[in-house]
Amino acid sequence: MKKINRTYVLGALGLAIAAWIVWQASQIPMRLVANEPGPRFIPYVSAGGLALFSILTIIFDAPKEAKKGTKPYLDKAGWIRLAIIIGESILFALSMVYIGFWITAMLGMMLFIVTLKRNKKINWVVAILLSIGLASLCYFGFTRGFNIPLPKGELWEALGIAMP
Amino acid sequence: MQAYIEALGILLQPANFLVMYACALVGCVLGAIPGLSGGLGITLLLPMTFALSRELSFSMLVGMYVGGVSGSFIAAVLVGIPGSASSIGTCYDGYPMTKNGKAAKALSIGITGSFIGTFVSIIVAMLCSGAIADIALSLGPWEYFSLCLMAITMVVGLSNGSVFKGLMAAFLGLFLSTVGADKVTNTLRFTFNNTNLYGGINMVCMLMGTFALQQVATAYAKGQQDMPPVDTASLKGFGLTIKDFVSNAKTIIVSLFIGLFIGFLPGMGSGISNLIAYGQAKKMDKHPEKFGTGYDPGVWATEVANNAGVGGALIPMISLGIPGDGTTVLLLSAMTIKGLQAGPMFIKTNPVLAALIFLIVLVSAILVFFTELGTKRWFPYLLKAPYHYLFSAIMMICFMGAFSATTSIFSVYMMIAFGILGVVMDMFGMPMTPLMLSFILGPKIEEYFRTGVSYARGDYSRFLTRPVSLIFILIAIYSVVGPFITKAIKNRRAAKAGDIK
Repeated sequence: MKKINRTYVLGALGLAIAAWIVWQASQIPMRLVANEPGPRFIPYVSAGGLALFSILTIIFDAPKEAKKGTKPYLDKAGWIRLAIIIGESILFALSMVYIGFWITAMLGMMLFIVTLKRNKKINWVVAILLSIGLASLCYFGFTRGFNIPLPKGELWEALGIAMP
Repeated sequence: MQAYIEALGILLQPANFLVMYACALVGCVLGAIPGLSGGLGITLLLPMTFALSRELSFSMLVGMYVGGVSGSFIAAVLVGIPGSASSIGTCYDGYPMTKNGKAAKALSIGITGSFIGTFVSIIVAMLCSGAIADIALSLGPWEYFSLCLMAITMVVGLSNGSVFKGLMAAFLGLFLSTVGADKVTNTLRFTFNNTNLYGGINMVCMLMGTFALQQVATAYAKGQQDMPPVDTASLKGFGLTIKDFVSNAKTIIVSLFIGLFIGFLPGMGSGISNLIAYGQAKKMDKHPEKFGTGYDPGVWATEVANNAGVGGALIPMISLGIPGDGTTVLLLSAMTIKGLQAGPMFIKTNPVLAALIFLIVLVSAILVFFTELGTKRWFPYLLKAPYHYLFSAIMMICFMGAFSATTSIFSVYMMIAFGILGVVMDMFGMPMTPLMLSFILGPKIEEYFRTGVSYARGDYSRFLTRPVSLIFILIAIYSVVGPFITKAIKNRRAAKAGDIK
């Protein structure tokens, strides 16, 4: 299978984003303070710069990559690992909303430890104590110590269970 | 002087002092472990600063900064893998010294060199920052715009990889900084009627995503390597004599100035200064052939230079509001979070806080020096830290930090999105620092540009007709175009030489 030159993809992506920025920026209402370029100016500049350097990277960097050969960023197992860690992050975020930060943090840390250990052995006592201890320290430290609220969980609220 | 006395009183308060010391030690550990850094520690600490006083916040963050820079030589000396880019040069002679049975001496040079670099550079920063801020007060929005532009292009020009990709990252960062209500006219931009975006993209979420989450995700996806075993037999004793200091005095002094100057220039952090100092030490030495074989001056040069960058980088951050390297970008974000405007007025309006920042660096450097000397024999254990526990803790703190930044789950989704953006940028070989720097400096760039044009009654040429502004713009252009010109000249010379032969 022919490998895709990543720099071409980057250049094309850069041009597409630049076009999108221009389109979106053109819809910003123009409110001008005397003699100044207005709120559209910097978005236009950023789109222009992005487009210009996307073209230049296609012209100058892509042939270099083609000459050197494109090395795969990750192997198949690496992509799977990346998908797993991103998936777990999304799960963590969603879980924070429904079951609250404290329980999510304890379970989430355990999940991350199990995932990130790969082929190493883990000491379950250390893993459990660390998950419970650190999650509790962070949760109570932030909510009680710093008075910064963290989500308590919509599920518990719906069930009428008061979480600490 | 009064400000320093007051600042010392604040620093010596038990809470501030203990937090600073603890963070300096944690920074040291993070700096020692390849893949982690003091910068990562600062990112994780940023959300905590919301609820803390300015004094306690900066005790934490600056302590972490000093520890992080200082600890990076440990892995370079013991296993030949730099803790961060600032200790690449240390591997060249530090690791061969360990292999030659001189690990104790190599570590002592690293510890002492780091201390000398930080200590002297911060004294220079204390003396210079006020004077530079006074000069900066006479500058207008035109010069500040050009200065910010120069800072970004210098970062791009000197970052690894393609200049064009670096500039793409910079313009992307500039675009991201425009999301939210425009500061001049209060017009909403790119918010898509989402109230969470009215105030712009939250800086903490962006930094946590692109800095911390991306690092953990890519390290896991690429397969984190375990550290090789360390020979602990040669770790006993101090290993340094007065003669060592005297015979390496020239290398130490020259490296100090190199580190200080390079740290001062925006974008040229300790990742570059240690290599330049190494090259210069080799050039100056009577026995250049000994470099790379476990030669003391090699370690002195790199460790003095990279730590001298601490003071060097703080000068433009405090006096001009321009961060000198990636880690000072994070410190500048912390100043913004605490409602402080870094720049020439900072020293005038917050003299005690400015003095406190310098004193934290000074005292942290002293504490780290003695602690490292006393605990040197345990350094190999730092490198055995289990990544799966560390990374899991980092992930959990990231989620908590992102939520607490705005007390909204939207921030957590944003952090994940920025983490994915970070992975995509890594895949395409786009450097992260230009994105972060232009995101942080973007609002300033826009404000200075628009007020500059407005003050000049619509005259855009004012940026080029004011001499200081013009100089900054020319440097900005040269920092991007310069490497191409140099390369073209070299190629032409090589071609001519080939023709003559």
